[in-house]
Amino acid sequence: MDSSDDRVVQAEADDPFELEIRGVFQGTLGLIHLALVTHYDLEELEAIELEKDLYVWFVRFCARPGNFSPSQSRPFLMVACCQFAREYQKYLIGTGVREPNEKLQKLLDREPNDVARDFNRNLDFLNLRNPDA
Amino acid sequence: MPSSARVLRFRARRPSGVPLSPEEATSAARRYLEAASERSPESTSDALSNADVLSSTLRLLREQWATSPQSVSDEAVHIYRWLQNSERIGLFDERDYFLGEAAFIAGTASKFLGNRVDALRWLDRAEAGFRHTVNAAPGLSSVSYARLCVRFDMGRFDDVVDLMPSLVESFKKLEMPVEAAKAKLVLAMALKNSGRVEDALTHLEAVGDEPCMEKNPTIRAQVLSERGDALRMTDRIDEAMSCYREALPLLASGQASAGRADLRMFVAGAYRAKGALDTALTAFKSAASDYKELGMATRAAYVGVLISETLLALDRPREAEWEILQALPTIEEQKMVPEGFAAVALLRESVKRRKTDPNALRELREHLQKQN
Repeated sequence: MDSSDDRVVQAEADDPFELEIRGVFQGTLGLIHLALVTHYDLEELEAIELEKDLYVWFVRFCARPGNFSPSQSRPFLMVACCQFAREYQKYLIGTGVREPNEKLQKLLDREPNDVARDFNRNLDFLNLRNPDA
Repeated sequence: MPSSARVLRFRARRPSGVPLSPEEATSAARRYLEAASERSPESTSDALSNADVLSSTLRLLREQWATSPQSVSDEAVHIYRWLQNSERIGLFDERDYFLGEAAFIAGTASKFLGNRVDALRWLDRAEAGFRHTVNAAPGLSSVSYARLCVRFDMGRFDDVVDLMPSLVESFKKLEMPVEAAKAKLVLAMALKNSGRVEDALTHLEAVGDEPCMEKNPTIRAQVLSERGDALRMTDRIDEAMSCYREALPLLASGQASAGRADLRMFVAGAYRAKGALDTALTAFKSAASDYKELGMATRAAYVGVLISETLLALDRPREAEWEILQALPTIEEQKMVPEGFAAVALLRESVKRRKTDPNALRELREHLQKQN
């Protein structure tokens, strides 16, 4: 997330629940950025804009009645990330703004939840190596 | 990993207004709800197009559905209609989530009001919304719970006994302890109304011991009320009264609620069983007053029949007739009895002749009792 978004930072400063959400989000941000830029071929600025939206969405998502704790909701964050990135790229390709390469096309042909599952495996692996992260 | 992502229909980025702190969003939501009568389409749009305000508004409505079901239903329907006409709201799956949540609230409030057909229609809409969200399971499970509550209201206790245990397991897996406890409570109520009173008492005791009860006094009060009623049904009146006494302070907010109205009705039933008819009548009237204030027409009609029976037992037939005439239209309109139910026709005829038929009244009460 762009750290210049002071308003959001301020809003959550005192709330333990939102601090937990922020912690989970920041702990996943590296993987989100990797997914967006390296795999879904988004440009840096596009990825940063999407990450801001993902954070705002994740805060409200964790507050939905019946949802798991923020750390248990991490897999859903990755699904949302892959789903949006796919829709965004398909939109750009569909309107002729961008040309797909073979690797991107293969990824866009896959279901976002399958892609997210792969990313979450990486996340599980990283958590195993560094359980305090 | 959620497999439901296959049916998601994510859109491109949508503006959702300036992010607000929870306090700011709650204040804005309260202002929005308080301004109900003077709201313009523009002010509705200004408030609800901010997803934080919309989230808080829906949360506040959830908190009020048992105490103000009519206004909650009106607001939730209004929000749902507004969302239907607003393509650009929220981020990612949020529009579908908000549609699901607004419909779920409208359905639950309709259930409280006794509008069963409306309730089921809104719950269908809720399902349609939740199905397109990233994490559909909690919403869909809540919809299933509400549907089973409607079936309970319709007297289909076998369905509840059959299906509720699986839902309890779902809530446990989803780590929703309060919903699991509520589901167990409704299961116990269905067992009680099916005549399996001892089984019901066993379940009620287990629910009462759930750790989540400490932070949910209203549900604990309902458990105690139901336990009291089950004890009364097995002629353990003093134990029943003890449960009611324990429940009362948990509901002592001074505000009418479905829980308080139920408790008053149960207390009245216990007094009637003890032969204290005057006290029973007062308590029944308090319950009816709560149900009417809440807009719970079917429950008010049922208590009206109980009041009428008590008045007949007190040899006050004119007042009993008046109560019956008040209750019958709702009983028929809301299909609380099957088409052509003989007792209703006999009762109407006997009241017209100003000689209320106590057997027809008893038969009607027994039929309604099975559903209440």
